[in-house]
Amino acid sequence: MSAPPEKELTVMLVDNEPARAAIVEQAMIDSGYRVIRRLENAKNLTEAVAEFQPDMVIIDIESPDRDMLENMSRLTQDNPRPIVMFAEEGDSRHVEAAIRAGVSAYVVDGVNSGSVKALLQVAIARFREFQALRSELESVKSQLEDRKLIDKAKGLIMKHQQCDEPAAYKALRKLAMDRSQRMTDVARNIISVMELMGGSK
Amino acid sequence: MNLIQPNNVIQNSEPVRIGFIPLIDCAPFVVAQEKGFFTSEGVNAVLSKEASWASIRDKVAFNLLDGAHMLSSMPIAASLGIGSIKTAMQTSFTVSHNGNGITIGNALYDQLQHFSDSSLDIRTGIALKRLIDSRGDNVAPLRFAMVYPYSSHNYQLRDWFSRAGINPDKDVQIVVIPPVKMVDNLRRGDIDGYCVGEPWNSLAVEQSVGHMLVTGYEIWGSTPEKVFGVNTIWAEQNQAQHLAIIRALEKACLWVDEAENQAELLRILSHPDYLNCTVQQLVYGFGSIKPKSQFDWPMEAFQRFSGSDINKPLPSYALWIMAQMHRWQQLGNNVSKLNQLAEQIYRKDLYYNALGLVEDKNTVEWRLPEAEEAAWLSLVEHGKVRLHPEGILKGFETFA
Repeated sequence: MSAPPEKELTVMLVDNEPARAAIVEQAMIDSGYRVIRRLENAKNLTEAVAEFQPDMVIIDIESPDRDMLENMSRLTQDNPRPIVMFAEEGDSRHVEAAIRAGVSAYVVDGVNSGSVKALLQVAIARFREFQALRSELESVKSQLEDRKLIDKAKGLIMKHQQCDEPAAYKALRKLAMDRSQRMTDVARNIISVMELMGGSK
Repeated sequence: MNLIQPNNVIQNSEPVRIGFIPLIDCAPFVVAQEKGFFTSEGVNAVLSKEASWASIRDKVAFNLLDGAHMLSSMPIAASLGIGSIKTAMQTSFTVSHNGNGITIGNALYDQLQHFSDSSLDIRTGIALKRLIDSRGDNVAPLRFAMVYPYSSHNYQLRDWFSRAGINPDKDVQIVVIPPVKMVDNLRRGDIDGYCVGEPWNSLAVEQSVGHMLVTGYEIWGSTPEKVFGVNTIWAEQNQAQHLAIIRALEKACLWVDEAENQAELLRILSHPDYLNCTVQQLVYGFGSIKPKSQFDWPMEAFQRFSGSDINKPLPSYALWIMAQMHRWQQLGNNVSKLNQLAEQIYRKDLYYNALGLVEDKNTVEWRLPEAEEAAWLSLVEHGKVRLHPEGILKGFETFA
């Protein structure tokens, strides 16, 4: 068994079957997670998630609220949560395939503490990998976007002030420091002002 | 000769597992099973009641189901890997057209009275736009619900907002709520309005919880709502079964639309294995009876299961849905060859093949020249392309 997670992750459990919920809760605690809330039904799920901000919500696969929860984690991109679900059907090949494919939802053939623990760990590891990849991709994307903005603003300053590139860069940086703003934000302001004045043509 | 034989060649085969969501438009699947249309086509089908669209999607993707009652956008989203892992899915049979409506709660409706000169301002969303503009930035946005991010409900709701000048991503909040919970959420004031299929609009009106403002038909004309979607690998390996199911569903759809069958239909559907409700709750889903309300349903807006090419898979609709996905930033940048994708996912050829029909060459030309794809998507994005007022069968209309 692998080591417990470095940072304690919080879990919200939604399950109408108390026996199953108890097994899952015990498995989570054994693995070093903290179950902060156990709901019998998903009636006030939206409110509960907003209030308790769990890292993860575990919900019965047969709940109609799955669509709602899936959409919620899509919308709150800054705080995404894997959604892991249990149902007493299916065989392990499907479970494995689903997890490998990055679906943080899967089907368990009869819930027992041992398999729950193992499967949860795989799903969470898989989820973290995916998150790491996604945030890396996003930061590369935004860096590219920043560069483009700054280049454009530099070009406008060069044209407007009839100066060279290093001078334009210096001007941009000074403006950013004076206003304690990010270079990108200053660049964006310059671009919109120039465009307003018709100076970007 | 092209007489369709009862297909008894499919024998000793594994049962086909078909998922459905307990909504009124699962009727053709239930009827095909209960009235023996599957059996007479030689299909051994097992119906499986599912709780969510995500569940349907994942089970078809991982072969826990072979096919299912699906939102018409679902095979497209799955095939493109939008919102889930990429799995090739397709449809060769449209189960139903229409049936959606946009309903708002009483409190919002009363507020809109102060911002409207006529009821038209309310129905077009113009009054809502004025109300939103008057609210300032420091109040929580009005909250609207739909059933799934990749659904006609989401796209129709967004289109309705946009036409009124309301930005659906900035000016309002849009959330997902399962259909059965819509009316309760509206009653509690957790949401201000929603776009959903019947009977949830009529029930809100009947229970004096809200007002149905506009139908999906008035926004998009007649358009596919649910389809029979299947895993493409399954379809390729089980073509005889697939075609037999299409024939059974075609007959079931005719049966569902037959007025004299309605009492029996409602009795079957209300059974605990299916919708598990009272017959009374189903009445507004079928036929032309609607509760008395401020605004009426046009006849054309009712849900239909048969006739007028209703059951034909329409690649043009797949194209339209991909354009909606583009418009609302769901589609990635690298999607091209839209015509081909549309025809791979909406398989008109298999529908003709199943029913022994000859393809009708007089249908409206919908294909986009490949070089014009990007430009067309951009027109859709800016609301410059609409469906013909009568619907997708009449094609698109472009506005300058």
